[in-house]
Amino acid sequence: MRYAFFPGCMMPVKYPGHESATRIIAEMLGIELVDMPFSCCSAPTLLRLVHYESWLALAARNLALAEQEGLNILTVCNGCANTLKEAALVLRNDPALKKKVNEVLKPWGKEFTGEIEVKHLLDVLRDDVGVEAIRSKTEKTFSFRIGIHYGCHLFRPPRIMYPDRLSPSKHFLPTQMDEILDATGMNPVQYNRRLLCCGSGLGTKVDLDAANQITREKLSHMADKDVQAICVGCPSCFEQFDRGQVILNRKENCDYKMPVFYITQLLGLAFGVPEEKLGFDQHRTKVTALLDGGGR
Amino acid sequence: MKRPGLFNEELLYECYQCARCTGSCPAAFAVDGFNPRNILLTYLRLGIEAVITDEKLWCCTTCHVCEDRCPQLIDVADLLCSLMNEAAMQGHIPEKVRASAEMILRTGRALLVSRRVDSIREKLGLKPLPEVPMEEVEGILDQTGMAVLIG
Repeated sequence: MRYAFFPGCMMPVKYPGHESATRIIAEMLGIELVDMPFSCCSAPTLLRLVHYESWLALAARNLALAEQEGLNILTVCNGCANTLKEAALVLRNDPALKKKVNEVLKPWGKEFTGEIEVKHLLDVLRDDVGVEAIRSKTEKTFSFRIGIHYGCHLFRPPRIMYPDRLSPSKHFLPTQMDEILDATGMNPVQYNRRLLCCGSGLGTKVDLDAANQITREKLSHMADKDVQAICVGCPSCFEQFDRGQVILNRKENCDYKMPVFYITQLLGLAFGVPEEKLGFDQHRTKVTALLDGGGR
Repeated sequence: MKRPGLFNEELLYECYQCARCTGSCPAAFAVDGFNPRNILLTYLRLGIEAVITDEKLWCCTTCHVCEDRCPQLIDVADLLCSLMNEAAMQGHIPEKVRASAEMILRTGRALLVSRRVDSIREKLGLKPLPEVPMEEVEGILDQTGMAVLIG
C-alpha cells in the first residue's frame, strides 16, 4: 500500500501531532506515505466559493503531481478529499473543461489525465488495511463513550464523494469510523444529529460565534448521550469542536469537557504508541482527565 | 464552470418553496436572516444583484444537507457557490475570505508556516513541510484570473 500523502494545510500547520500519529499508525499498518510538493488542495469552503476556475486548476495541479508518480492520493482531511474528488470527477466528465485546465498546467509540465484515485484515510483504513489488521494490532482497550463526528465533506454530496456506493435513494451514510473503532474494542455511541455539520465553514468565512452555535447544538446532543470523547477524521472539524468548547465555556457559561481526538490518535492509544508522540499538548480541550480517570 | 448563467436556471423553477433546505440548514439555524429558500426566490424574482451584495450569502457552511434533502433535487449548495463566485467577481468578498485567499496566493497554503510550526514539528520528529513551488502556483492562479481578483 503506497500512497501520495496529501497532508493539506490544517494538519501539518496547526496539528502536527495528528500528522505524527497518522504517520506512526500508517507505518504500523503497512501503509507507505510518499511526500510531494502539494499546495493547498484548495478548500471547498474557500477558493471554490471565490473563484471556481482557479480552485479547479489548483486541484488539477495537485492531482497531476500524484499522477506523474503513478500514485493514488491519501487525504487526512475531509476538505481535501472533497476538493480533489470533485475536481477529478468534474474534469473527467467534461473534456472541454479538462482541455482548458490542462492548457493552464502545460507550461509547468503537468497534465491532468484522471488516472488516479483519491481516498480518505478512513477508507484506506477500513477497505485497504481492513478491520482485522486493526484488531490484531490493538493492545489496549478503552471503555469511554465516543461520539463520532464524520463531517460533511467526507461524504456530501454523495454523488461526488461516493458515486459507486449510493443507496437506491442516492444517499450514502458513512460507517467507516464506527467499524474501525469497533475493531479496537472502543465504544462509539449513537446521538442525535450525528451526521450534521460542525459549523467550521461558517466560522472560517464570516462569523465564528455563530459557527460555535452550530457546534453547541452538536455538543448538546452528544452530552445528552453522555459522550466522553469526540472522534473526528478531519482537522477542521477537530478545531471546531476542540476550540469551540473552550470558547463556549468562556463566553456562554457552558461546561463542556469532551476531549476531541483525530482518529489516528485514538488508534495510537489503542496500539500502545507513547502519548508524547500523539500531540495531545496541542489540544485546547485537555485529554488528561479522561485518560487518567479510568478511561483506560 | 459553475458561475451563474451556466447554472441550470430552469431547475430553480422546480422549487416550490417548501423550505426543507432552510429547516435543515445549520447556518440558517445559527444566523438570523440567512435563508437559502429565500435566496433562491429572491434570485428568481429580483435578479442576481439582489442577492450577491448581502454578505450573509457567505454564511453557507457548504455542508450540502440542503441538496441531500431537497424533494425537487435542486443543488441548492451549488447555486449558493455560483452566487458567491459572482459576488466575488464584483468585489463583494468578506474580509476573512479575502485574507485566506490572499494567503494561498502568496504562500500556496491557507495557513502560514511560521518558525513556531517548524519547531513543534521538529520536536515530534516530523520533517519540515516541503516548499510549495510558488512560481508555479502563482502562474496558475494568474492564468485563471484569481490573482487579479484578490491581488
